[in-house]
Amino acid sequence: MTDAEIFDKTKEILVDQFDLEDDEVSLTTDLTNDIDADSLDLFEVLNRVEDDFDIKLAVAEDIKTVQDLVDKIKEQLAA
Amino acid sequence: MTVKTTNPIFEKLGMKYPIVEGGMTWAGTGVLAAAVSEAGGLGIIGTGYWHGEDVRREIKRAKALTDKPFGVNVMLLSRHIREVFDVIIEEKVAVVATGAGDPSPFLDELHAAGIIVMPVVPSVSLAKMMEKKGVDAVVAEGMESGGHIGMLTTMALVPQVVDAVDIPVIAAGGIGDGRGVAAAFMLGAAGAQMGTRFLTAAESEVHPNFKAKILKAKDIDTIVTGNLLGNRARVLKNKMAKSFVKNEVNELQKEKPDAEAIEKLESGTLKRAVQEGDKDGGAFMAGQISGLIHDEKPVAEILEDIWAQATDLMGVENTTK
Repeated sequence: MTDAEIFDKTKEILVDQFDLEDDEVSLTTDLTNDIDADSLDLFEVLNRVEDDFDIKLAVAEDIKTVQDLVDKIKEQLAA
Repeated sequence: MTVKTTNPIFEKLGMKYPIVEGGMTWAGTGVLAAAVSEAGGLGIIGTGYWHGEDVRREIKRAKALTDKPFGVNVMLLSRHIREVFDVIIEEKVAVVATGAGDPSPFLDELHAAGIIVMPVVPSVSLAKMMEKKGVDAVVAEGMESGGHIGMLTTMALVPQVVDAVDIPVIAAGGIGDGRGVAAAFMLGAAGAQMGTRFLTAAESEVHPNFKAKILKAKDIDTIVTGNLLGNRARVLKNKMAKSFVKNEVNELQKEKPDAEAIEKLESGTLKRAVQEGDKDGGAFMAGQISGLIHDEKPVAEILEDIWAQATDLMGVENTTK
């Protein structure tokens, strides 16, 4: 899976979860500050990412931005 | 349809009642946990930010009083979790309940030691993640609970978690009598957890002021601190709790709110409530059902009475008699 494909799929999850427009999600989007995700929202995102990418993530991942999330997914896909 | 009032885990543990003691730091001592297990429930020692040796001391106190299985609640944010898990495995504790995080990095070694793992979860997504990682059960805890809480109520959370996972779900939050326990089963739970109800048990070692405060409490007498700056915790109202909430509001009005400064206000306050009974300065963590509790009695009586009422309401046989 290419970086662009990972980002697109991640964006799809975020757009759906937070009712966003496509252009509201970029790699620099900060999940907490830009889209007001609280800790329960983040679990929901991680849960969906796990299902959609068929990977396992730790609950306490240090994920602040979309880039962090994409990096984590890439890392797990490669594992 | 007949209500199923047990689950494979409780059967394995040989529990008489499908009732678990909630994890309560400082208040959930080895003595109280032993009393709950000895009476047929599942006692849980609360450990918070303790060192391993503090946890071992309480485990040994419990073992001196009961041969029945009991559990330890581990606060995953603690810096000492590695040593705490080492002690738990060495002492062959039967159950680990976890709060504030993800126990999965420790799951394999706990399972290898034959330990049942059941994390407390505040949402469906976390419950599903925990199931995927292989935990044995989840405790779905609503915000009616005392201490650190999530956002959802027990009534809303439990059936949604039950629908989402295939492992046993234990309902927690706002359960203090047989009606609450029966309701938990009606929501699809496979067990019920109670914390506050056990704080006023005869075997509870909390300061008499703490017990008196619960016995005096009315429905409206709890407040949630940390609403604005994270770490939400339900406590009984007192000077400390009210000033904490005021300080939070003041801090938020500053240009750069300092969440750590606010959290420092809470430091040590739970211990002050539990051990010193500090009426003004302690954090008396207790749930919304405090107003439902009017007496101090032995754990065995609490469980017997609650289960008699619950089975009567559910129309199932009380096989414990």
